[in-house]
Amino acid sequence: MPKAHTLADAKREQRRAYWTLVLPGFLVYISVMAFPTIFSIFLSLSDYSGGKLFGGKPVHLVGFKWYQNLFADEYFYLALKNNMWIVLVSVFGQIPLGFFLAYVLYRGIVKFADFFQTMIYLPTVISTVVIGILWKSFFAPYGAFPELVRLFNPQYEYGISNHPMLPVLFVILWMYTGMYLIIFIANLQKIDSAVIEAARIDGATEGQTLRYIILPALSGVLVTTAILAISGSLKSFDLIFVMTAGGPANRTSVLSIYMFDKAFKGAPRYPLANAISTVMVIISFVLIGLTKWAESKFGGRE
Amino acid sequence: MTGLKKISVLALALLMVVTSVFAQGTREDASASGKVELTVLNYIDMSEPNSANEIKMVWDKFEEENPDIKLVREDLFNEPFHQKTEAYVASGQLPDVLYMWPSGRSTSLHTTHSVKDLMPFLEKDGLVDDYNPATIAPQFAGYLAELPNGITTTHMLYVNAKVLRENGFDIPKSYDEMKAMVKPLKAKGIDLIAMDNMDAWVMQSCLFSMVVGRYGGVDWYDQLSSGKIDFTDDWFVKSLALIDDMYRSGMINRNSLSSPYGSSRGSFASGKAAFYIDGDWSTASFQTDITTGKALISPESQQKDFELMVIPNLPGEVIKNSNSGVVGTGWGMSANIPAGSAKEAAAWRLIKYLQGEYVQTYRLTTGASFPSNLKVDVEKVVEERNLEPFIAKRAAYYAAYTPITPVIDGVLHSDVYNVINTGLQEIGLGDKSPTQVASEVQKAWDSWKKNQ
Repeated sequence: MPKAHTLADAKREQRRAYWTLVLPGFLVYISVMAFPTIFSIFLSLSDYSGGKLFGGKPVHLVGFKWYQNLFADEYFYLALKNNMWIVLVSVFGQIPLGFFLAYVLYRGIVKFADFFQTMIYLPTVISTVVIGILWKSFFAPYGAFPELVRLFNPQYEYGISNHPMLPVLFVILWMYTGMYLIIFIANLQKIDSAVIEAARIDGATEGQTLRYIILPALSGVLVTTAILAISGSLKSFDLIFVMTAGGPANRTSVLSIYMFDKAFKGAPRYPLANAISTVMVIISFVLIGLTKWAESKFGGRE
Repeated sequence: MTGLKKISVLALALLMVVTSVFAQGTREDASASGKVELTVLNYIDMSEPNSANEIKMVWDKFEEENPDIKLVREDLFNEPFHQKTEAYVASGQLPDVLYMWPSGRSTSLHTTHSVKDLMPFLEKDGLVDDYNPATIAPQFAGYLAELPNGITTTHMLYVNAKVLRENGFDIPKSYDEMKAMVKPLKAKGIDLIAMDNMDAWVMQSCLFSMVVGRYGGVDWYDQLSSGKIDFTDDWFVKSLALIDDMYRSGMINRNSLSSPYGSSRGSFASGKAAFYIDGDWSTASFQTDITTGKALISPESQQKDFELMVIPNLPGEVIKNSNSGVVGTGWGMSANIPAGSAKEAAAWRLIKYLQGEYVQTYRLTTGASFPSNLKVDVEKVVEERNLEPFIAKRAAYYAAYTPITPVIDGVLHSDVYNVINTGLQEIGLGDKSPTQVASEVQKAWDSWKKNQ
């Protein structure tokens, strides 16, 4: 007589199915995300100085020495400040601008919407290294920028400004706005146009439609883009590395470049570099937490 | 077909294309064909004339002459090269043969003893007498870690004499004479000195090291390391103050801080600046590219309109006419290669070839380096091959400017010279004073010494 399926059997099978489905993803997550992060924290507390980890020079724990070094270094704060500038430009520059452009294109306020959409998105698909080299030569002392300004003001003398970050921030704004444009356009297209039409028939102005229909519908997307912008800003590296490599005198350095310099420029300081990366992870969590909190407090419901 | 099916078919097709690309790219196994495979990390500025030709004349030729060796070469330049080297050292997976510095920039290769002592190889082959003795002295590692190209002087003042003549000036005999040229030249839209200071090492290596020698004397490093002098003393503060003065007076434009290395050579050659400061190695960038026949400065013009010198008489200097120099860069061999193996023999054959008569003569003709190998008779090669005037002028320049004083990143640890590099840029930005920078350098030096 075949054995009857009991409730316990069903549960066991469910658990097995659960682990079969979850385990691969879980293992990948552990190996590429969780383990490196925890290992990095371990290295930041050690005196590892390069070479083989196992079988090389013995590694000892040295406490928070590297964190003390880090917080006593003026260039750490300079890099942090520059990172915050990038966060500001991303959250309060790229996202509003991306949204504005998406709205203009979606509502058909300008002609040739497809053309503009392609042009604005174009920088996102070009290699960052190419963009970096392009703008580096554009802003160089003998480059196109000073020449262009001299067309209007022949007396103009290109000076290294008090804000060497300005050209970098400008390029960041130019480069990534297109990505947010696409995200917003995709989500705007999901809004039922009948709702907007109904609002217009009821006499809502363009502004009221935006305020009471479109923005609440997009609040989730706004949070997602803000998280993308914040985490993207904190890890920004490639563009600045190509454009300025953090120079002159670390004035355009950001945390990731500061970390890279400590690890690979001159004698290596791996524990210090790992301490920097740990601090970066913590800052990311805090900023993303703030964004989530802001959404729960002020955001609408989708 | 349903939508889902279509997507699945497309995805499968894409997967097949991608995998077939990788299948094509499988690397040929050198050992199967009986060849020794050597990985090489090469340092080359591909934007310089004759670089492409060097690949053919040096590397391809070696493989032709040595069919039993297969080279897997990686070509890098400037910071990416150094960063890659650091990553290699960190992982303990060094290329078999690699380009390296005798000290400073290759600190970690030396301190971790990641490369072999080459002296026993030279001795075994009876080649010791072939090299200029100064070039095969022990290096930062305490032994001959790399076989150098020659001796490099890191400061060279390239003079556009034509610009000077046209503006009523002679070749300057003192720093003050140079300074007096700033205003009249600026009025005509000409910069006095072109220099690319975006990379922090340039100012320190190509100008400041020479200045420190002039104020600190030939033995400043010995005195410093024995504790007789400090960075906060007059010699160092004066050196920093001179750089400050050069920026303030407009001799060096502050804009140079946003100028990437090598980018103002063209502007100098075309007369937008009267002088250009770089190392001796940059003469190569002005010479004719053999493959295209084009030059930034034509040979006639090199002869007639350009001079190679050092910045003349600085106010208050303790030695005159000195220059900063260091044993040249060269080739090292990974310590991971088993002693007595076929790979070791192949690696040594390559290094011997790279610093042998053929390659060093070739590199002399392109201006890439001046030989350490005594078999290369510079005068004879210049005469016989009718080389460009810059090469003869460079030989005369080496004879004219002595003594040679240490280069900062050649003798100090990166913990100290990085602070100097950044400090020099901060002086350039007008953000810090010479005394401030001097005390920061002293602090870094004290803390480095404490940890030794």
